[in-house]
Amino acid sequence: MSFEMWAEKYRPKTLDDMVNQKEIVERLKSFVKSRNVPHCIFAGPPGTGKTTAAICLARDLYGGAYREHIMELNASDERGINVVRETVKTFARVRSIGEISFKIMILDEADNMTSDAQQALRRTMERYTETCRFILIANYSGKIIEPIQSRCAPFRFTYLPREEHDQHLRQIAEEEKVKLLDDGLDAIFEVCSGDLRRAINTLQAAASLDKPVDAKVVYSITGRANPADVQKMIEIAMNGNFLEARKQLRDMIQKYGVAGSDIIRQIHTEIFRADMPEQWKIKLADIIGEIDYRLVEGADEEVQLSALLARLVEAGYELRKANMV
Amino acid sequence: MYAAWTVKHKPKSLKYVVGNKEVIQKFVDWVRSWEKGIPKKRAAFLYGPPGVGKTVTVEALANDFQVELVEKNASDYRTESAIRRFAGLASQYGSLFGGKRIVLLDELDGLTGTADKGGVKAITEIIKSAQCPVVLIANNAYDPRFSNLRNYCLLIEFKKPPAGEVMKHLKRICAREGIQADENALKFIAQRSEGDVRSAVNDFQALAQGRKRLTYEDVSWLGYRDRQETIFTVLRMIIYGKTCVGAKRAVDMADVDIDMLFEWIYENVPAHLTDPHDLARAMDALSIADVYRGRIRATQDWSFTRYVIDYMTAGVAMARQNTKTRGWIPFKFPGRIRMLSRSKAERAMQLSIGYKIKRKCHISAVRASKEILPYLRIIFKNNANMAAGLAKWLDLDPEMIEYLVGSKKKAEAIIKLLS
Repeated sequence: MSFEMWAEKYRPKTLDDMVNQKEIVERLKSFVKSRNVPHCIFAGPPGTGKTTAAICLARDLYGGAYREHIMELNASDERGINVVRETVKTFARVRSIGEISFKIMILDEADNMTSDAQQALRRTMERYTETCRFILIANYSGKIIEPIQSRCAPFRFTYLPREEHDQHLRQIAEEEKVKLLDDGLDAIFEVCSGDLRRAINTLQAAASLDKPVDAKVVYSITGRANPADVQKMIEIAMNGNFLEARKQLRDMIQKYGVAGSDIIRQIHTEIFRADMPEQWKIKLADIIGEIDYRLVEGADEEVQLSALLARLVEAGYELRKANMV
Repeated sequence: MYAAWTVKHKPKSLKYVVGNKEVIQKFVDWVRSWEKGIPKKRAAFLYGPPGVGKTVTVEALANDFQVELVEKNASDYRTESAIRRFAGLASQYGSLFGGKRIVLLDELDGLTGTADKGGVKAITEIIKSAQCPVVLIANNAYDPRFSNLRNYCLLIEFKKPPAGEVMKHLKRICAREGIQADENALKFIAQRSEGDVRSAVNDFQALAQGRKRLTYEDVSWLGYRDRQETIFTVLRMIIYGKTCVGAKRAVDMADVDIDMLFEWIYENVPAHLTDPHDLARAMDALSIADVYRGRIRATQDWSFTRYVIDYMTAGVAMARQNTKTRGWIPFKFPGRIRMLSRSKAERAMQLSIGYKIKRKCHISAVRASKEILPYLRIIFKNNANMAAGLAKWLDLDPEMIEYLVGSKKKAEAIIKLLS
């Protein structure tokens, strides 16, 4: 076994290495061939190869010293307008020396930029097109303001199909001499639902236990974030103990750093498995969807999810009442 | 938005200024003396506790005497040169239209620290050659910084007006606002303010605005001016509010900002709204309020704050439809805040590990600390070899290793493997 993060070690180095997102990769290759790149938006769920594609593109374009020609900025770390005014502008306006006259600015997690910063970015993109091309990476392209969207070529990344996901993980397991069992693979896919970075991290964490990776191992290491805890929280809420359910939620978010979107996805899965009248399931699905949407709008995770818990308390109460009649 | 009553009902004439009658007369005499030529003391130094009417007196006098008032807060004009530029010019020449003028330097207490070096000296120089009345205002004229300055000033001390005087002022406001107030309600507010007229008027506005009548019961719960006490009152007005306006008004009384108030409400709603339907409605209102907070963050348009307030107050108040009011349920300090402050150091640690990951993994530090760190923790707990390799690859400090493993002994084992 090697001692680095496998997700990094097995990150494709060139566009040719990228096995998935075939149509996107083909178009990017054509950019490399014509030595020209437009401003781009790479949108799609996490772990689908957006950042990788951007870096592969840069490496294919500039060769080994590609780092001199690109800059990677993470909007979640540096999201304010001042970053655009200073860092981005300074980088963008200086002409690149070399065969290709423009540099590439990779703005990761661009949907986390404030709209002020995006407005400022829009002018920078326009003014320095000659010297700098932008690749904006986002989970939701809808959170990028229209004027920027209209200046960019859009690329929509999708989750890896199951076969490609499996193939990738099996290959890594083989290289690292890890015994990966079929039900382990199933469990990884269920927990990470196609997010390849998470899947590889999960595999590596599971491998650190030094035993064959099966479903039990996978769930034991992701258990905190996943089925059992969420299931328990739902149960507590449906039994009417809101305060305790909220406490569990708070622990999940604050102590174990589980993302709100993970929890809500899990709740969504669990609801359809739960023992309750079918009509209730679809009623709750609507509520879950609404809360999910509010989360996307950038609201506070605990507040939103506890509003959902309150709805579960309400549902449990109604169910008990119906049963008593 | 309502105007603050301290501004709206500020005395426009000296005869309405609360209390300090003799003191004010002394000040008026000094201003009058300028008509007969420049007096020995070219400046008056008004001092006394906050809210007793020092500034109001000068403004009312300027109004009564129809003189131009050139007014600056010293806290805006801190440096020597800035004071010279402003006050120097103003005090050396007559008014633009040949009328009279008074130069007022307010809040001299704000003139502190090394940044203001020379500020007091500059003021002293200006006074020595002033051609019109200069008025200085501070809480404490006997501050050592003013020792030289004092020699050139007529010192005038403002005292706290008695409650009766404060009451008179409140009654005047009642008349102008069309409010019927009980005598003992006003007395209560006046006494509670301990001579600070400004705070009395503020309290009075918080209690009386929008009402026709104000009784002793309406004010008696105010108690002392204590933060915890106030927040409980505010929470009660919101969670047990009967009208939207009533619940919304609570926000103006809160001693905490909107976000903190939100936390208080969010913490306490479940214990006070036990009916499941009410609870769901209240939590939904908070959820929508929170969505508006998100919109404010995204657009930086703070005018949306009004919708945040609508939902977190009126929205919560209107959620109560079935829950019966039973007995006394204590309010709790927001648990989330407590947890946040407890884990502040922890989050700092997580973020610094996040930055280490960021350097290697093309991911933001914030996301790395949330998404990758939990996996590292598992690896570090289970596999010392792999942990040592990753620690080296990520260039982690010993403290970070210890944090990830969760025990000093295991951390030492990993560090040993590193060398």
